Amino acid sequence: MGKNVLLVDDSKTMRIIIGRSLRQAGLDFDNIFEAADGLEALEVLEKENVDIVLSDINMPNMDGISFLREKSSRDAIKDIPVLMISTETGEDIIGEAKSLGAVGAIKKPFTPDKVNEVLGPLL
Amino acid sequence: MAIQDKMIDATKEIFSTMVMMDISLEEVMGSHGKLTDTITAMIGLAGTHRGVLAVHFPYSVAMAITSAFLMMDVEEMNDDVHDAMGEIANMLGGNVKTILSEKGRDIDLSMPSTISGSEYSFQSDNDVEKVIVRFGTEKGSFMVELDLEK
Repeated sequence: MGKNVLLVDDSKTMRIIIGRSLRQAGLDFDNIFEAADGLEALEVLEKENVDIVLSDINMPNMDGISFLREKSSRDAIKDIPVLMISTETGEDIIGEAKSLGAVGAIKKPFTPDKVNEVLGPLL
Repeated sequence: MAIQDKMIDATKEIFSTMVMMDISLEEVMGSHGKLTDTITAMIGLAGTHRGVLAVHFPYSVAMAITSAFLMMDVEEMNDDVHDAMGEIANMLGGNVKTILSEKGRDIDLSMPSTISGSEYSFQSDNDVEKVIVRFGTEKGSFMVELDLEK
């Protein structure tokens, strides 16, 4: 596929599950980068070539909403698409994420089919 | 649909889609006794609804669930087990929030936290309404508990 993805979640378990779901969905990435919060995610985006970000919302240090806000202020990385993967499904929170540039949202728990359905068209 | 029914559905969905482990509904309970050789993962709720969502897993069940999550054998209580149980509480908390709150903004969830030990009691100090559901797995039973301030 030739693309790189960044997984942002404070749970190592969830990052493993998301990575597994990507493979089960038939979405093979050259590199799967990981970050435990928004701050780490920004560091990865500044250093690595990332094509898409899958990010949780509720995280310590810098949550997903703050990450989107900060990312949108940095010219070098502002156009990298971000898909939210979160337990948060409230229209207010997802609406805020989309207003800050998120391209969509997947609710936890999720199946590989759901990941493929939402993420596939974005690649 | 009563909140307990939605909690049951949410728990089953999490286990079928993410853990890929069969669970069975055993009992809806009003209370439980001391917890032994157990790990409890919990999420606090604040806002229009205040309380705590807790999931109590005996060690054997917690390790089996973590093994299923990670697709590798987990044979001791370690950080991976705490992280995995916290993530189950996190997903259940998110579902409970959706059940209780329409737009999602009027209830805040805490980060998950876990405690474990050979014997301890778990109880809420305030006057709460409890919903406790026990589920069965191949390795034993676990309980999902929601304590909401009246």
